[in-house]
Amino acid sequence: MTARQTAVAAGADLKWMVNSAGLLGRRLRYNREQAKWWGLVWLLTEQLGLSLRAAAAVSTVVLRGGSSSTQVTAGADPSGSASLIVDLARYESIFLANLSRALVHETPRRRGRPPQRGIKGDALTAARHYGVDLGLIRSAIGRTPAERLALLEKNAAFVRDMRKRTA
Amino acid sequence: MSFASMLSGLTKKKVRFVVVGGVAAAAHGSSRLTNDLDICYDADTTANIEALASVLAGWQAYPRGIEAGLTRSFIMDDRTLRNAPILTLTTSEGDIDVMDRIAGVGPYDAVRRHSERISALGVRFRVLDLPSLIKAKRAAGRPRDFDHLPELEALLALRKT
Repeated sequence: MTARQTAVAAGADLKWMVNSAGLLGRRLRYNREQAKWWGLVWLLTEQLGLSLRAAAAVSTVVLRGGSSSTQVTAGADPSGSASLIVDLARYESIFLANLSRALVHETPRRRGRPPQRGIKGDALTAARHYGVDLGLIRSAIGRTPAERLALLEKNAAFVRDMRKRTA
Repeated sequence: MSFASMLSGLTKKKVRFVVVGGVAAAAHGSSRLTNDLDICYDADTTANIEALASVLAGWQAYPRGIEAGLTRSFIMDDRTLRNAPILTLTTSEGDIDVMDRIAGVGPYDAVRRHSERISALGVRFRVLDLPSLIKAKRAAGRPRDFDHLPELEALLALRKT
């Protein structure tokens, strides 16, 4: 995973993660487990106002391996009148959603400025130079949106079928 | 498993959404093949969030790219939708990405303003218009979005002529 993917999976800000890792004296690693841990630390500090050190300690307790319960009591006062309960099942659902987004959508960006069109002002020439088949586009324009989507559906079904056969 | 079944399921449950991404591009004439349906939904209405969550739960939606059974279980409900602004899901009906805003365009209201209604695959629904789709692709900034831009810009130029 990249640094950005880890931050997206954690649902946290990358700069915050880097700074917090420095404050905690913790080495920042970019993987699923760390993203899950940082995500919970972020929630506890940003949403509940816990100090960074307290949130880090609570996250370590809550995400300790082997816990099978869906709700974990991370801490309570001696009288038992106040306690901190983390709904782990709910947190894991949100984390999985963010992790999926990070893996599917957050592909590494190109460095530097966005590419400019080679030939300014003429989209058709630029597209032809890029390798776009203008004949295909012209024939698509001659169809109705319903016909275009019917064709897309047919082609997508063909690809799905081929993938199934080769799997 | 098809775009038709997903669009029909969403409209039957009266979910307020606009189709964006590859399917919208195909509706405008793009020849690129896509396997997932991208939608922007109205996240300001509780009823709409609940309706969408109910449809997705009915389709056994699960985050895409994650091994099933990796953790306890994924809870597909309105709270998950509220807390994850972009969901990339695999379902019994096909892959679907749901989001509450589109980069370069804005939240659902802005997306709807820049959409047009079409009838296709036996369903009437809204798709993001071509100029906004180009803005969204440019704002997303990913290599695969940039790769799609020349074709979309050529489509826009051909439409104007």
